[in-house]
Amino acid sequence: MCASSVIPGTTLGATRRIRPISGAATGQLARQSPAQPVALTEAEAIRLAQAGNAAAFEFLYRLHGRRVYALCLRMVGNPADAEDLMQEAFLQLFRKIGTFRGESAFSTWLHRMTVNVVLMRLRKKSLPTDSLEEAMEPDAENSAPKRDVGAPDLRLTGAVDRVNLERCIEKLPPGYRSVFVLHDVQGYEHNEIADIMGCSVGNSKSQLHKARTRLRDLLQEELRQQAREERKAAKSPTGSLD
Amino acid sequence: MHCKELESVLETEGLGQLSKDARLHLATCGACQGLIADFNSISTAAKSLPAEVNPPDRIWISLRAQLEAEGLIKEPVEVSEKASWWESFLAAWKPRAFAAVTAAALVLAVAVYVKRVPQNGVSDVAKKQTPVESSRAVPAQVAGVSPAAALPANIAPTQGSGPSKAKELAPSPSESASFTLNQAELDVPNMQLAGNSQVDTALRQNLRTLNAFIAECELRLKQNPQDELAREYLHTAYQQKADLLAAMMESGRGEN
Repeated sequence: MCASSVIPGTTLGATRRIRPISGAATGQLARQSPAQPVALTEAEAIRLAQAGNAAAFEFLYRLHGRRVYALCLRMVGNPADAEDLMQEAFLQLFRKIGTFRGESAFSTWLHRMTVNVVLMRLRKKSLPTDSLEEAMEPDAENSAPKRDVGAPDLRLTGAVDRVNLERCIEKLPPGYRSVFVLHDVQGYEHNEIADIMGCSVGNSKSQLHKARTRLRDLLQEELRQQAREERKAAKSPTGSLD
Repeated sequence: MHCKELESVLETEGLGQLSKDARLHLATCGACQGLIADFNSISTAAKSLPAEVNPPDRIWISLRAQLEAEGLIKEPVEVSEKASWWESFLAAWKPRAFAAVTAAALVLAVAVYVKRVPQNGVSDVAKKQTPVESSRAVPAQVAGVSPAAALPANIAPTQGSGPSKAKELAPSPSESASFTLNQAELDVPNMQLAGNSQVDTALRQNLRTLNAFIAECELRLKQNPQDELAREYLHTAYQQKADLLAAMMESGRGEN
């Protein structure tokens, strides 16, 4: 686990892939609130929060909130739900913070709760659906576009933009989506993801591979769709897409 | 090695070091080269997505209230002398990009206000008020006093006359800003926002939620003017509403 820290108030994106500090880290962090200047390490904040200190709760929230919110947002694709889930995840975390003994990194513990909260919500939403296991191993017959290994495909090189990718990530089954976002977007290693998701390292690697394969199919389908629309537009008398 | 075998290797080993066999197959198989190139493109594009997103302040506000309600917060920190929300608002909006949006929002609010004040100086708002309210609002506007004199009844100062009452009639910065925000909001219903109905709906839903929250805070303050928590929440909600309106206007401008 990286020992760097995310300092609240830093520019969006400037701190990407720099992980919040682990419980053992000792670097000083200054909270950037003009009203209540507080300097804490994460370990101190956890100890104070276990005693019910309000500033410590806020410190932990601000230290990890941006990553947790990004994760929720990508998992549900909807700001209102993401806010709700983030609040729920932190609430669960703070309710159980007294039991935190530092066996795993605090951020891993928090992400595990967040992923669980999100997957539970997604499971409730898609009613007759699946168990969490099914979320991890969706029915390939029903949910994947067909793909022949080795068949000629549209090349994605240079054609994947952020908007397309975000849209396709939303279409991934929740289990694949979690692993892909944690690994390829948030920069976690497979052993950390295994800890967060409660699965083996091999399972995490397999999920990531399947997620990338599915994303490739979805992105290729988007390209085909765009090409079809362009052809249609070229054939229409006005040459317009409308 | 065949394509399926290479895919199994990718599944277990990832995109890192490939075995000699895998590399030999890759050198002669265009389809597998394409597969790996596509995976690399996806991975590169994913790394360009922000791993962190600023959550709205209201989440912490709501979370803190919940923690307090559940008794999880046992040592509330004494809030020291705090800058007014209006000062924080200005400080937060210092960067140029936000300043431009703020200026646009305020210009729009003033424009809407001016549009609503006919030549005789009696605004639509004032017309709808009782005679006593109108008599207060009209001179204030003629004298060029802040439009907050025509505030809605729920946040307007107590009515009356005489020097002490005159002092009461002077709008506080909070009231002025509240009025400005409300005026800016008047144009929102007709605005075509992001051109994306989901974003549009989400923005409007957020505005409704925020307005309901503000109304609740105002009600609590009205019932208990000493309620510091409600006051703080109200100030934060005003900030959020300003942010949201600016975002909505920015969104509308970008698309229209």
